[in-house]
Amino acid sequence: MSAVGEPLIVVESLHRHYTVGGEVVRALDGVSFGITRGEWVAIVGQSGSGKSTLMNVLGCLDTPTSGTYRLNGADVQGLTDDQLASLRNKEIGFVFQTFQLLPRATALGNVMLPLVYRGVPKRQRRAMAEEALAAVGLTNRLNHRPNELSGGQRQRVAIARALVGQPSMLLADEPTGNLDSATGEEIIRLFSELHHRGHTILLVTHEPKLAARCPRAIRLMDGHVVADGAGAAVAGLGTSAPVPA
Amino acid sequence: MNALLDTLEMALSTLRGNVLRSILTLLGIVIGAATVVAMMSFTEGLKVKLSTDFAQLGAGAFQVQKWPAMSFGPRDWRKIERRPDLTREQGEALRDLPHIQFVSIEEYPHQPEKLTTPERATKQNIDVCGGLPDYEPANGVTVAEGRFLVETDIQLGRRVVFIGMDIADQLFPGEDALGQEVRLRGVPFEVVGIAQRKGAVMGRSKDTFAVIPWPAYERVFGKSRNTNIALVATSPEDVPKAIDEVVAKLRRLRGLSAQDENDFDYYSNDTSAEMFNNLAAMVAAATGAICALALLVGGIGIMNIMLVSVTERTREIGVRMALGARRRHILAQFLVESVTLSLSGGLFGVLVGGALALSARELFEVPAQIPLWAVLLSLGLTATAGMLFGIYPAQRASKLDPVEAMRTE
Repeated sequence: MSAVGEPLIVVESLHRHYTVGGEVVRALDGVSFGITRGEWVAIVGQSGSGKSTLMNVLGCLDTPTSGTYRLNGADVQGLTDDQLASLRNKEIGFVFQTFQLLPRATALGNVMLPLVYRGVPKRQRRAMAEEALAAVGLTNRLNHRPNELSGGQRQRVAIARALVGQPSMLLADEPTGNLDSATGEEIIRLFSELHHRGHTILLVTHEPKLAARCPRAIRLMDGHVVADGAGAAVAGLGTSAPVPA
Repeated sequence: MNALLDTLEMALSTLRGNVLRSILTLLGIVIGAATVVAMMSFTEGLKVKLSTDFAQLGAGAFQVQKWPAMSFGPRDWRKIERRPDLTREQGEALRDLPHIQFVSIEEYPHQPEKLTTPERATKQNIDVCGGLPDYEPANGVTVAEGRFLVETDIQLGRRVVFIGMDIADQLFPGEDALGQEVRLRGVPFEVVGIAQRKGAVMGRSKDTFAVIPWPAYERVFGKSRNTNIALVATSPEDVPKAIDEVVAKLRRLRGLSAQDENDFDYYSNDTSAEMFNNLAAMVAAATGAICALALLVGGIGIMNIMLVSVTERTREIGVRMALGARRRHILAQFLVESVTLSLSGGLFGVLVGGALALSARELFEVPAQIPLWAVLLSLGLTATAGMLFGIYPAQRASKLDPVEAMRTE
């Protein structure tokens, strides 16, 4: 891992256009920004603002129509499917709104999955997954299946899965969207803790309150960046809510 | 290797999760594999039986009968039934032929018989034969105790019997059977000799036979009807010449004109091998057809279940891709799954086919022996079916778009 402060993500005049029923939809229409290592950034916007498309492009699940996206010094546009898969495996830890855990696998099995595709030997895989689950406070739930866990616990498993491969960044898409407010608060505290440990976190959300708690936020509207600055300011809340330590 | 094990583990856990569905899907595959194993076991069993039967006859031996011993394909059975019986006189006439060494004229009842003593009885499974001294060389009999039938037994019409070892064991356990009396259909016979143990071939004992002199046989069973003539040529190389002589002689004795067909059948090792090969080829063709059909049905079932599985697990596929699975990882996962599914059906089918063959052997005394190659062949065929029919669903899975896939419910 390189030191905090180096540029991790560089996005320049990024466009992503779709053709739907003969009409061109400009989901991203010239987006530019940079994110340095160790930052915790919220990407906010109404639905249809392009934030999901941006998240897919930043997550290497989708490639831009034009423009540049550099992740950890590597140009992402023009990579093959296999190269994108390996980039996702090494550089990105996904946290989804609906958790996206495999229902038949245990917590441990779910967390080991990214390491399977990295070719890590089984014994080592297990040790790493146990460590990651311990880091999110689930040491005593290793062999539970998702349907035996609460929503908050499921999201913790998902976060452990995102962390286990020591990626360059966590990419969280509405991580509290399916949780009640108390549990959501726990998850945000966990992110905050991870941020303080030096992890780079991108949090996609439509909730201004959540964005306000991030040190930095980027607001998207109609495929354009309309604001980029301190979380509270971008979120448009008069008083900046304190970020929990 | 590690990756393959991981994939296999994933596949097995999925199959465990859908046991009933997996079993139903596999029916075609099971039938295909079971057919190959069962049919090939019967073919193999027949081959073993024939080769031991003929090895027992000894080199240079051949047989003449009214009825075909084995027949495949259409035959006019009524015409065969109208053939005149072979008689002892016709058999005796063959002794003078230049390339004939022994002539064993044999008579068999239609059903197995039972031998009794005042204390004990055998089961109804004794093959009784009315014969002459030449039975011994023509059938490769080895005397363990006493003697075989001799010419004077025939001439004097003695009621004596030469028995297999199992009969001696059953009727006279712990005693010397020689000189003892046994009864056949109530008629007393004196045991004069016991054959050396031959053991069992495919569960069927070769030591449950009894030979009595021809005249005594006719007294018990009536005038002979089903004469079988076993001949031994002067040497194994002389068999074709001996057959020609026998055929010519019998045709003359039975008054056939030049354009008539033979009204009797003959078998040597060569002719039976040829017949066996014809049979084996027919069985193989029939098996091949049934098996191909069953595997096609089974394979379509597998393709269907795998397509359902891909649809059901679209989200899972998307998640796996997001976490770094390459397209070939997904492809391999679903291929290994379909091969595992198919192969487990194949294994089950092998067990079913084997059980079928062995129980037919035990219950109906059908010759059967499971050849290893048939087991390997059916496993190979089912694995191949799983592979071929798994390609399309696996490709569909591997071509999914991760974002779209994760969005499905």
